[in-house]
Amino acid sequence: MAKNKIRQKMNWKKELALAPGYLVVGIWVVFTFVLIGWIILASFSTTREIFDGNLFKFATGLHPENYVKAWKTHKVSSYFMNSLLYTLVSCTLVIIVSAPAAYVLSRFKFRGNGFLQNLFATALGIPAIMIIMPLFSLFSQMHVNQSRGLLIFLYIAINVPFTIFFLNTFFHNLSVTFEEAAAIDGCSPMKTFWMIMLPLAQPGIITVTIFNFITIWNEYFISLIFANTAKTRPVAVGLYSMIQSMRYTGDWGGMFAAVVIVFLPTFILYIFLSEKIIASVTGGAIKG
Amino acid sequence: MKKKLFSLMAIVLTCAMVLGGCGGAAQSAAPAPAASGAASKSDAKSDVTITYYSMWNETEPQGQTIAQAVDAFKEKTGITVDVNWQGRDIRKTLQPALDAGQDIDLFDEDVERVNGTWGKYLLNVEDLAAKSYDTTNGKPLTDVINKKLVDLARSLGPDGKLSTIPYQPSTFLVMYNKDIFKTAGITAVPKTWEEWLAACAKIKAAGKTPITVDDAYMASLFGYHMARLIGKDKTLAMVTNKKIDDPAVLTFGEQWKEMYDKGYISKNAAGNIYPAGQQEVASGNVAMYLNGTWLPNEIKNSAPADFNWGSFAYPAVGKGGDGPEANQYGAQCFGINKNTKHAEEAFKFIVFMTTGEWDNKLAADSIGVPMANDATWPKQLTDAKAVLDATTTRYPWAVGMENEADINAKIKTNFALLVSGKLDAKGFADAMKK
Amino acid sequence: MKTKNKAMIVIFLAPAVFLYTMVFLYPTIRTVIMSFFKVEGVTDAVSTWKFNGMGNFKTLFNTPLFVSALQNIGLIWLVGGIGVMLVSLLFGVILTSGVHGKSFFRSVIYLPNVISAVAMGTMWINYVYNPDFGLINSTLKGLGFKNAAAQWTGPELVFWSMLIAYCFGMVGYHMLIWMSGIERIPTDFYEAATIEGANVFQRFSKITLPLLKGVCRTNIVLWTVSTMAFFVWSQLFSPVNLSASTVTPMSYMYELVFGASSSAITVRDSGAGAAIGVILTMVVIVVFMFTQLIVRHDDVEL
Repeated sequence: MAKNKIRQKMNWKKELALAPGYLVVGIWVVFTFVLIGWIILASFSTTREIFDGNLFKFATGLHPENYVKAWKTHKVSSYFMNSLLYTLVSCTLVIIVSAPAAYVLSRFKFRGNGFLQNLFATALGIPAIMIIMPLFSLFSQMHVNQSRGLLIFLYIAINVPFTIFFLNTFFHNLSVTFEEAAAIDGCSPMKTFWMIMLPLAQPGIITVTIFNFITIWNEYFISLIFANTAKTRPVAVGLYSMIQSMRYTGDWGGMFAAVVIVFLPTFILYIFLSEKIIASVTGGAIKG
Repeated sequence: MKKKLFSLMAIVLTCAMVLGGCGGAAQSAAPAPAASGAASKSDAKSDVTITYYSMWNETEPQGQTIAQAVDAFKEKTGITVDVNWQGRDIRKTLQPALDAGQDIDLFDEDVERVNGTWGKYLLNVEDLAAKSYDTTNGKPLTDVINKKLVDLARSLGPDGKLSTIPYQPSTFLVMYNKDIFKTAGITAVPKTWEEWLAACAKIKAAGKTPITVDDAYMASLFGYHMARLIGKDKTLAMVTNKKIDDPAVLTFGEQWKEMYDKGYISKNAAGNIYPAGQQEVASGNVAMYLNGTWLPNEIKNSAPADFNWGSFAYPAVGKGGDGPEANQYGAQCFGINKNTKHAEEAFKFIVFMTTGEWDNKLAADSIGVPMANDATWPKQLTDAKAVLDATTTRYPWAVGMENEADINAKIKTNFALLVSGKLDAKGFADAMKK
Repeated sequence: MKTKNKAMIVIFLAPAVFLYTMVFLYPTIRTVIMSFFKVEGVTDAVSTWKFNGMGNFKTLFNTPLFVSALQNIGLIWLVGGIGVMLVSLLFGVILTSGVHGKSFFRSVIYLPNVISAVAMGTMWINYVYNPDFGLINSTLKGLGFKNAAAQWTGPELVFWSMLIAYCFGMVGYHMLIWMSGIERIPTDFYEAATIEGANVFQRFSKITLPLLKGVCRTNIVLWTVSTMAFFVWSQLFSPVNLSASTVTPMSYMYELVFGASSSAITVRDSGAGAAIGVILTMVVIVVFMFTQLIVRHDDVEL
């Protein structure tokens, strides 16, 4: 998609024709801002004010200590560190497992190629509930439940199909001349992959990694089942457990502070990389 | 260049995973025995570590007090208690963990649940409880703590044997705002349904809402009221037969439709999602709530500090039903895993928490009830003590109405429709019969 | 190609295939088998399983809560699906028609999808739907429509409230997919049509829509997959125990496998839970094949 930003003079007739469009989208955008703005305001407020609906009056002033409390007592920092660990390690290892596989599937013709590609594609359609029960049982017997290593293993395994799918399309679009040139120079196919093709695939890898990052960061169900101790919890489950515990302590201001802390990284990442994220979502989806 | 960076990153992160992840795998399955421990303290101390799956969240008052107690316990005896704060999710996570043979020595939860659902994992503690400990003044433990609850724990235990030690007792009754009652000119708490309606009228005249409820407690309200109409046994029979078809259901519908018509129940009650109901009480808008003695603790952050709490038993309603002498009471309780290797140490911790200094502290920090017989109840709950002492019949939780997910869901849907004016009494009774 | 590549193929594919087998293939097969047995605890040894034939399935379909769950998920899929597809398509068309600030609008509309559902859901319940001071009721009262202010989390409306909250977050995601499809249509087509005298609607219906068929199929499949996994929202709107208006198959399954949270007697039935998993997967497969049939893969190949 070429970014043709040809500066035309403001064509008022054209703008007017588009006005209804602006209106519709504008209302939606304003609504979104109001919702998110409320969360931020609530995070600086107290429980009483939230439930009495006096959020905007700030009768007792701002309460930034909600954030300090959330970070320390609710152990948000540990949820954060956990999520960071899970996402960084999983994203890296997913690429290490998926990129070679995607490359082989896209470049080489062999029996079972099409079958394998469909196999990975069907994984996308299997809902998590089909797989959690036997896995829970299996890992219980192996005594590795509620451990970080297990969760990372699962996150990698679950994101491999989509990543292979995406990178497959990507490799497909890379010209074969690179490999031909490398072959002439006497480079073995494996080396060709690691030294030439992989770096060439960087844009695709970055895009799919960003997408995986967001998915793993917000992941809830798998971690709820497999890593639900205070030590191993990631942010989404941690947030839910904070909400539960806050139900019994009544600290809603602190809870919203926690909510903001949790969604900030994704939000910041998103602002800086929104173009790339959107490209990854659409790139992988089209060929579906 | 890029490739080198990439592989370097991969190696670093893999190391991080190995160190962080595998460490986690090893330690959560079987806690490292006595890593810390009392090597520095005096010689008579043990260096055992026990694993305790707790129903509390670390940030709750109970959780914070227990965390302090764990430190004090370690100082005193050298035993390390490795606490795993499950929160209420323990209801879902404990059993799979026990089934999978994870090393758990001690756990706690509601006395009905621990004995009923997890009974087969419990260690019989009759012998341990019959001994005396340094905080029991030479008497057996069972003599110094609340007898009613010990009897309850014993009756619920597998084979009728004491397998759990109760703590944090609670009663389920009407919690109310004494200040509102005073302003409305109510001098005595209602003991019958007629008195109840009269009190509601006065509260409404004073500009407040008499009662509210939210989706977590609708089933209890229904169960209680039905038991006041037809008695505990017939109410429980409806649950066992999975048919809510007693003719008195129609009376229930009529009486609560009247509550709605006269504006005695909060107009938000139908849509309240927990904990919205108790927040209405905290804000001083609602006078009464059929809830548990844990309520002052749960809303202490949003209710004013000088909230004047009172409580009374749910009034008698029908001639065939129970009166204020029938109530649900219960407690949380500690249970020891049958397969534990450290029964004595775990029991020592239980004694530590249910007698003496830490029993009092736990009660004080959580506006709860202490276990020791001669302890004083917090002032917010003094009325509740009278109700508990006068209770002769015990209702199970929600009088059984939450035992079947379908019945619970049916109550929630139809009661909400009833108290928002969408169903009349007959409609309610018919919908409940289905 | 050549056989010396065989080693490379195997090595490169091995980890991925291994992970797939262990995490997808084995569990799926085992779950399918489990659904035909009476199993209480999910970690029970296979020797304790009692064969039950179609018993689990029969019990499920006779349970009012499960039937409600199916009705709910059906409505979510159909009504929610139509709503989300139409709104996201509309937005997609608007944003590709040359408005200024396209990137900005696109980012903001996609934003709710990026924020954790737990956070969004809590905000909807406590702010938007609050009966006394919530956004909707305050706005209605402010505009003078006092009587329209309703109990959004009351029994009749809570399902729709939940659905709307969920769909709000999903619009952005599907809009992006539409947009990428629209942007692949060569502008020459439109120019040629304009020269021929086609107006906006004709351009849309004769050019855009037909060429979006493949993207449409993708959107439907993705929507189906994410709908079947509807869980967190259900939990948020019914936090303590299940409600007929908000229950979904997945949240019901969670209760079956791990035990209901509030009743003192925890009845677990993992066999039935497995059966639910099987039912949901069948639905996904059926929808997938159905869309394959009606929407041929004839979109623009660039």
